[in-house]
Amino acid sequence: MRGNWIVLAFCSLGQLYADQSLKPQTAAAQLATNNPTLTTIALEKPFCMFDSSLHPNKSYTVYLYAMMELAIAISSLVTDNRSKPLDSTFQQTSGGRLGPYKAALFNVPNCASPPNLADVGDINKVSDVLKQYLFRVGNDETCLYDPNFLDVCNPPLTPDTTYRFKYMLVDNTDCIMKDQTLWSDPIKTRRVKLPMKIDTGPGRRSGGMIVITSILSVFVFLLLSGFLASVSSTVRVLPKGRSRLLRPPKWSPCDHPGHTEPAPN
Amino acid sequence: MSKDDNSVHIFQGLLILGNVVIGMCGIALTAECIFFVSDPHGLYPLLEATENDDIYAAAWIGIFVGFALFSLSVLGITGVIKSNKTLLLVYIILMLITYAFEMASCITAATHQDFLTPNLFLKQMLERYQKMETDNNNDKWMSEGVTKTWNNLMLQNHCCGVHGPSDWQKYASAFRSSYNDADYPWPHQCCVMDARGSPVNLDGCKLGVPGYYNSNGCYDAISGPMNRQAWGVAWFGFAILCWTFWVLLGTMFYWSRIEY
Repeated sequence: MRGNWIVLAFCSLGQLYADQSLKPQTAAAQLATNNPTLTTIALEKPFCMFDSSLHPNKSYTVYLYAMMELAIAISSLVTDNRSKPLDSTFQQTSGGRLGPYKAALFNVPNCASPPNLADVGDINKVSDVLKQYLFRVGNDETCLYDPNFLDVCNPPLTPDTTYRFKYMLVDNTDCIMKDQTLWSDPIKTRRVKLPMKIDTGPGRRSGGMIVITSILSVFVFLLLSGFLASVSSTVRVLPKGRSRLLRPPKWSPCDHPGHTEPAPN
Repeated sequence: MSKDDNSVHIFQGLLILGNVVIGMCGIALTAECIFFVSDPHGLYPLLEATENDDIYAAAWIGIFVGFALFSLSVLGITGVIKSNKTLLLVYIILMLITYAFEMASCITAATHQDFLTPNLFLKQMLERYQKMETDNNNDKWMSEGVTKTWNNLMLQNHCCGVHGPSDWQKYASAFRSSYNDADYPWPHQCCVMDARGSPVNLDGCKLGVPGYYNSNGCYDAISGPMNRQAWGVAWFGFAILCWTFWVLLGTMFYWSRIEY
């Protein structure tokens, strides 16, 4: 009898311990390779995290709360003093700076038959698999500026900021929190580098360019010197008397009367 | 003096052979350079936007040099057969000028190929792709050219960015300032498209689910044709010049030995 009580105590301790270590996780990295991005973070839905608190005949909803890590100093409460979930929005908390805001509501994920991630390869099933498996925080670009939007607004997050998330199980009939996970580990959105900082210098000169330049320069030099050599050898090779370039100008006695022809050189 | 005659005839034959080869290579060079200038891969706007399109200038010079080489080789053959000193002098001088131009083309092509690095195209892509607020007409023309070229590149080669889609996430860009990150972590041209040209699954593409986006970079599709062009112009031109060097030296020697 006492043994049973001890086992029960251990079991409930074990359950509590299991609950304490359950936190929202980012979606599987092999599936969602682009995660987190500049303004979004895709989280795995809470599969089998709340099963111990689920009553078979009641309906529940899962709430997702998000806040910036720097808001921990201000407030990290997600319920009021009567265990009612906090109804804060993105605008009210300045995007999570002043405390947690409600980012999403969805049905409790099916623990008994979770989506088969291998079905992602099938074009017809991929939308359903993604919808059932993960939730993308920051997905809705327009809800902040749409006055007709009545649902829970999930606007884009801020780049280069650390966020933390929490799932909460809420009973639909009395809207009271039944269970909650721990705050997730800090998850940081990406930051961007400026493109003007990219170094576009070519680095070292390639070997081919040096070979071409040096060899061609030598060739041109040799050609020009060869040309000069052949021209000068043509000029010199002809004997002096017959060289058109070296022949003295024609002298006529009629131009210079009274003088005889000068002796040839 | 039949031995002398024989050696002269042999030398003439060699020069004629050399000129025939130069003529054929000249036509080949012209054809090759016309092919490159026609830009079959549509990559010229990328070079134009880098303001470093000298490998195209080298190809243009190659077209005219090739034709000049062909014409001059005909002149050279005529001059050698007739042993006409004037013809050969004209041939030598014009060949030297052509040689200088071809040398310029080779060195330009070889030098400017070194500038075509991945970072150059990355920076240009980030600064010009989908740039909406352009400063002037020139900027607008270049940005539109870059945008159109990249869209074609990404769709035809099934690639994204220079190194990969992460380029769009790692760096700020003109694209990022016009298109928000939540809906467009990268351009939709990076998504795997169906037969009608729209993404197969947009959510899968945005999340980076393998099979719904193109994860490889486009740098190979850019650098492959450009390097082939630069190498084709530079090294084929270099080979022609090496051959022409010997033919020219032989012609100068032959010219200097012709009696009036």
